[in-house]
Amino acid sequence: MISEALGINYVVIAPSLCLLIIGIIFIISDLSLKLKPLYQGLVLTFGLLITGVTIIFKIVEYGRLGVSSHFSSMILLDEFALFSDVLLYIVAICTFPIIWTSSSVLGEKRTEAIVLVLMSLSGFMLMTSSDHYMMLFIGLEIGSISLYALAGLNRKDSFSNEAALKYFIFGSFASAILVYGIALMYTSLSATGFYETSRTIAYIGEQNVPLTAIIGLALFTFGMLFKVSAAPFHAWAPDVYQGAPTAYVGYMSAVVKGASFVILARLSIIVFPLLSLNRSIIFAIISISSVVIGSFFAATQTDLKRLIAYSGIAQAGLIFSGIASGGHAVTASLFYLGTYIFQLVGLFIVISITSDGFSSTIELDMLKGRLKKNPFLGVCFSIFLLGLAGMPLTSGFIAKFLLFTNLWAAGLYVWVIVFLLASVLGFYFYLKPIWTLSIDEAESDVILLVSRTNSIILSVLALLTILLGIAPSSLLNIADWVVSSYL
Amino acid sequence: MKLAILSGILAPVFFSFVLALLPKGRKELFFPIAAFGSTIPVATSLYLLIFGIFDGTYKNVFELPWIKLYGINWVVGYDGISLAMIFLTTILVPLSILSSSAILRRTKGFLISVLILEAAVIGVFTSADLLTFFLFFEAILVPMYFIIGIWGGKNRKYATIKFIIYTVFGSIFMFAATVLVGLLVLQQFGRLAFDFETVSNLVLSLDQQKILFLLFTFAFAVKVPIFPFHTWLPDAHVEAPTAGSILLAGVLLKLGAYGIIRISVPFFTDAFVEYRGYMATLGVIGIIYGAVVAIPQKDIKKLVAYSSVSHMGFIILGIASGTLIGMQGAVLQMLNHGITTGALFMLVGFLYDRKHTRDMTEFGGIKTVMPLYAAAFLVVSFASIGLPGLNGFVGEFMILIGSYSAYGIHSALAASGVVLAAIYMLWAYQKIFTGELKFESNESLVDLNLREKISIAPLILLMITIGIYPYLVEKFIQVDVLNLAKVVELTLGGLS
Repeated sequence: MISEALGINYVVIAPSLCLLIIGIIFIISDLSLKLKPLYQGLVLTFGLLITGVTIIFKIVEYGRLGVSSHFSSMILLDEFALFSDVLLYIVAICTFPIIWTSSSVLGEKRTEAIVLVLMSLSGFMLMTSSDHYMMLFIGLEIGSISLYALAGLNRKDSFSNEAALKYFIFGSFASAILVYGIALMYTSLSATGFYETSRTIAYIGEQNVPLTAIIGLALFTFGMLFKVSAAPFHAWAPDVYQGAPTAYVGYMSAVVKGASFVILARLSIIVFPLLSLNRSIIFAIISISSVVIGSFFAATQTDLKRLIAYSGIAQAGLIFSGIASGGHAVTASLFYLGTYIFQLVGLFIVISITSDGFSSTIELDMLKGRLKKNPFLGVCFSIFLLGLAGMPLTSGFIAKFLLFTNLWAAGLYVWVIVFLLASVLGFYFYLKPIWTLSIDEAESDVILLVSRTNSIILSVLALLTILLGIAPSSLLNIADWVVSSYL
Repeated sequence: MKLAILSGILAPVFFSFVLALLPKGRKELFFPIAAFGSTIPVATSLYLLIFGIFDGTYKNVFELPWIKLYGINWVVGYDGISLAMIFLTTILVPLSILSSSAILRRTKGFLISVLILEAAVIGVFTSADLLTFFLFFEAILVPMYFIIGIWGGKNRKYATIKFIIYTVFGSIFMFAATVLVGLLVLQQFGRLAFDFETVSNLVLSLDQQKILFLLFTFAFAVKVPIFPFHTWLPDAHVEAPTAGSILLAGVLLKLGAYGIIRISVPFFTDAFVEYRGYMATLGVIGIIYGAVVAIPQKDIKKLVAYSSVSHMGFIILGIASGTLIGMQGAVLQMLNHGITTGALFMLVGFLYDRKHTRDMTEFGGIKTVMPLYAAAFLVVSFASIGLPGLNGFVGEFMILIGSYSAYGIHSALAASGVVLAAIYMLWAYQKIFTGELKFESNESLVDLNLREKISIAPLILLMITIGIYPYLVEKFIQVDVLNLAKVVELTLGGLS
C-alpha cells in the first residue's frame, strides 16, 4: 500500500539498478573470488543481456502506464527516457568488446575500467529517466565522475592524466553551474522537475515569470551544453578526446551526448515553448558558433582524435540547432543524434583497432596506409566518415537534409546557410583521414586483427549507416513517436 | 519497364558486392564479373530504346515510398533525353573497364568503384524527383574520389581534393535549392514533395525563379564546367586513370548539362530567359578559352581536357539559344562529346600504357610503328573537330545554326572554336604521328591489340553512324526537345 502511495515501481529504474548490481557483483567477484577473465566476461555478457531484458520490461511498463511519474515524482517514465535507454544500451553493447579487449593491458585493474563503464552507464540512464532535478543531478554526477576516472585510466601517460584533470575541473565547474541553475529555478518557481516547471510557468503566465527563473533555466541548459561540448563550452573536448584511452573515447562521447541531448530535447519540448525561448538569439549564437568553431579547428588538426573532437563540436552545434528550434525540428535532431552516435561509435572502434587501443595521441601521419591491407576496416572507416560528412546515400545526409528542411521551414535562414557552408569544410576534414589511412602509401607493415565480435558490430553499424541513408523511415518513425505526442 | 530500370541501377551494385566477397586469389574472375555486371545495364538501355514510348512527356515508371513521415517518394522515370544519356553511360562503362585492364594495383576496388559509379549515374538519369536526383548526383563523388585518389597519377591528392571541394561547394547550392523547392511545394500544395511533376506545377514569382535558377545552375555549372568554374577539370583529368578520365569526360560532365536541361530550363523558364544571355556569353568564352589554352599544351591529356571545356561551351551555347534546333544540337552534342572524348581519352590511355608518358614531345613519327592506332586517332580527332560525316559535325552545326538567330555574334565567335579545334587536334596529331620516327626507343611500341581494338571499335562505329544518320538519335530526343523549346518560346513571347 505504502509502496503504491510513494509510487515505488522498480521496473522504471530497473536498467540502472541492474547495471549497478552487475558492477557490484563484478567488484566482489574480482576481489574475493578472483575469477578468471573468461568467467568475468561471461558474468558481464550475462549482466548486459539482463539489462537489455529490463529495458524491454520498461517499454512494456510504458505500454501499460503511459507517461507517468514514479517514486514521489522522482523518476519519469516517458518516450524520451525510453529512447535514451535504448540508445545508450546500443552504445554500451557496441563498445564493450573493444573496451574489454583493450583494457587487458591494465592487468588486474581491468575490473576498475569495466566497473567505471557500468557505473557511468547506470548514471546516465538514471539521469534521463529522472523527473526531479536533484535526481537528474545525481545521475549526471554518477555518470560524469565515472567518466573523469575513465579518461585518466592510462596512468603512465601524461596526456591521459591531463585529460582526466581537465575534464574533472571543467566538468565540476559545469556541474556547479547546473546546480546553481536548479537552485535558481527552485527559489523563483518552487519547481523541481520538468513537468512541475512547465505547470508553474503555465499557471503564473509567461509575463510573470521572474528573470531569475529564466537565468536558472539558462544555467541549467548551459550545464547540459557543456556535456555535449557545444561552443563556447567546448574547450575540454579536444584535450579529453586526445588524452583518454582511445578504446573508451567512443563510449564516453557517445554516452554523454546521447543522454544530454535527450534531456535538452525534453526541455525544448516541455519548457522552452512556454517561455518563447526557442530560436532565441543566445541559442543561435551557441549553435552557429559551435558549427563554425568546430569546423574550422577540425580542418587544421593533425591528430585524428582531436579532429574528431572538433568535428564533434560542430555536430553538437547541428544537433542542438534542431533542439533549439523546437517543434518538428526536434524529431530531426533526435534522428540526427541516433545516426551520429552509430557513426561515432563505429568510427572509434575502427580507430581503436587501427591504433593501439590504449594510446593517447594519434597523429594522422603515424597511421599512413594502415588500412590498405585490410579492406574491411577501410570500407567501414570510409562509410563512417562519409556518414559524418553527410554524403548522400548515408544516414548522415538524411539527417542533415531533415534538419535543414525543418530549420528553413522555421525561418532560420542564416543558420542553414552557415551550416551548409560549414558542411563543405566538413567534406575536407572528414575525407582527409580516409586519404591518409587507406590511400597513402604505408610506411610500415602492421597487421591488424579484427575479432569476430568486433567485425560483426562494425558490419552492423556500417550497414545501419547505409540503410538509414536509403530507408530512413524506421529510425525517423521512432524519433517522431518520441516527439509527436507533445506537439 | 520497372524491372529494366531497376536492374540497370541494381545490377552494378549487386555485382560490386559479388566482387567484394570474392577471395583475393581469384584474380582472373575480377574482370569478367565486372564486365558482366556492367553489360546488364546495356540491356536496360536497349529495352528502353525498343519498348520505350517517346511522345515528348516525361514517363514516370514507378514510385517507391521513401521517407514516409514526410511523404517523400523515390520517383523513377525516363524520356528521350535521359535515354540518350543512359545509353551513353551503359556503352562507356563496359568499354572503359575493358580498356583499363592494365590496372593491376588493387584491381578489385577499382572495379567496384566503377560499378558503383555506373549505378549512381544511371540513378541520376532515371530520377524523376529533385531529392533523389541530388542524392545520386552527390553519391557519384565517392567512387570518383577513390578512382582518382587511389589509381591516379603523381599529383592526385591535390587534384582529388580540388575536385571534391569544387563539386561539393557547387552541390550545397543545389541542396539548398532542393530544400527550398520542397518547402514551396509544402506551402502551395500542403505536402512535402520533390517529384518533377509537382515541381513543374509550382507557381513561382520571377524573384523566386531567379534565386532557384541561379542556385541550381551554379551547381550544374561547376559540373559542366562552365568557364570560370572549370579549373578543377584539367587537374582531375590529368591525374585520373584512363577509365576515370573516360567516365569523367564521357558521363560526369553530361550530368551538369543534363541538369540544366532537366531542371533549370523547364522549371524556372522565366529566369532562364532572363539569364540565358549570360549563359551564352560564358559558353562562348569557354569555347574560345578552352581551345586557345589547348593549343600550347604538351600533355595530351591536358589538351583533351581543355578541348572538353571548349566542347562543353558549345553545349551551353546550344541550350542558351533556347531554339529548337540549338537545343537539339546541344543534346546531340552531349552524346557526341561523350563518345568522342571518351574515345580520345581511351586512345591516350593506350599510349600511356605503353610508354608511361603523355608528353607529346616524347613521341613523333610513330605512325610507322602503330599504323592502326594512328588511323583510329585520326578518325576520333576528326570527329572531335567536327568534320562533316562524323558525329561532331552534326551537333556543332545545329548549335551554330540554332544560336545564330538568337545570338548572332556569339554564334559567329563560337564558329571560330571549330577552327581552333582543327588547329590543336591536328597539330597534336602531327606532333605525335607524322614524319620520321623521332626517337629510336619508340620503335618497340606495338600496335593495338585485340582487347584495345574491341574497346575502341564500337565508339568509332557510333561516330560514323551518327555522323551519317543523325536521325537515329534525333528520333528519340526530338519531341522532348520540341516541348522544351515550346516552353521557352512561350515564355519569350510572353515577355516581349
